[in-house]
Amino acid sequence: MTLHIPALLAILTMALVTYLTRISGYLLLAGRHLSPRMKAIMDIVPGCVLVAVIAPNFATGHPADLLGLAATLLAATRFSLLPTMLCGVITTGVLRAVLG
Amino acid sequence: MGTMHTTSPSSRQDDFWPDFLRGVKTSLPLLIAFIPFGLLLGSQAVQKGFSIVEVPLLTGLNFAGGSEFAAVGLWSIPPAILLLAGVTFLINSRHILMGAALAPHLRHLRRWQIFLLLFCMCDEVWALTLTDLHTKPGRRFSMGFYAGITVCLYLCWVSFTFIGGYSGNILGDLTRYGVDMAFPAVFIMLLKGMWKGARNALPWCVSLGVAVLVYHLLPGAWYVPAGTLAGILTSLLVVRSI
Repeated sequence: MTLHIPALLAILTMALVTYLTRISGYLLLAGRHLSPRMKAIMDIVPGCVLVAVIAPNFATGHPADLLGLAATLLAATRFSLLPTMLCGVITTGVLRAVLG
Repeated sequence: MGTMHTTSPSSRQDDFWPDFLRGVKTSLPLLIAFIPFGLLLGSQAVQKGFSIVEVPLLTGLNFAGGSEFAAVGLWSIPPAILLLAGVTFLINSRHILMGAALAPHLRHLRRWQIFLLLFCMCDEVWALTLTDLHTKPGRRFSMGFYAGITVCLYLCWVSFTFIGGYSGNILGDLTRYGVDMAFPAVFIMLLKGMWKGARNALPWCVSLGVAVLVYHLLPGAWYVPAGTLAGILTSLLVVRSI
């Protein structure tokens, strides 16, 4: 149960950087009036962020992972979160066992 | 429902606990992803030289999973602070846009409330909140709902990263069994909640395509800002043409 000063400094620096990214978007837009066009764009942006974060899952070369992702996408069009996750996890697990 | 309230502030306060419970319920399925990833991060961190106290300190103060996995991967003794700060910024720069998207909904809140709630704004908290705001037209940002999701996910993340660090690799290589697919599954469901018809499709596809390309071409986390930026540029064109 020890705390090292360099590690503590690194963790605090990371925490500060992360917090700054979290408040700066708000600070930039707080109190500002958005045009309808700007609003329409701000509606699309969140999805662009999320889809970019999971890009590595689409970039994989493993057939089992790609098929598992396809199964997850298909499940997502029909089910709610919990069954979709189970569908994705189980399909991927089975495919990895079968396809190697 | 026993007492009558005529002023809106008090009725909003009455909504806090029902909304809080609704938030907790909404976030429970996400624990399927949070628990194994938390255990994994904790055990990897200790293997890389984190002490048991430093693990929950990192996950509790930073609370952004992607940057924490990156930090563990880049961890050294002593740690390279500038490198860690740079990578953290790169991975978490998306928060700037996320905060901007949330900003118009926070106008009725006090400043200290806003700065407190933004501290916990991870992808999942943010996306569930925005989706909830969009499901009912005219619905206001609910502090109770936000707090419910946040408390549930935050406690789970910090405690399970700690348990993972304490117990070491108890789960073995869970990714062999497909558990890692829970993470993109959560994001795909979050995207589904944001879907508003074909107008979204083009910017999202461009963002994904560019991110995949950059992921192949450049090392590190550049694919997140690159994909996002390409998606935004596309949305500028799409929105102009409506």
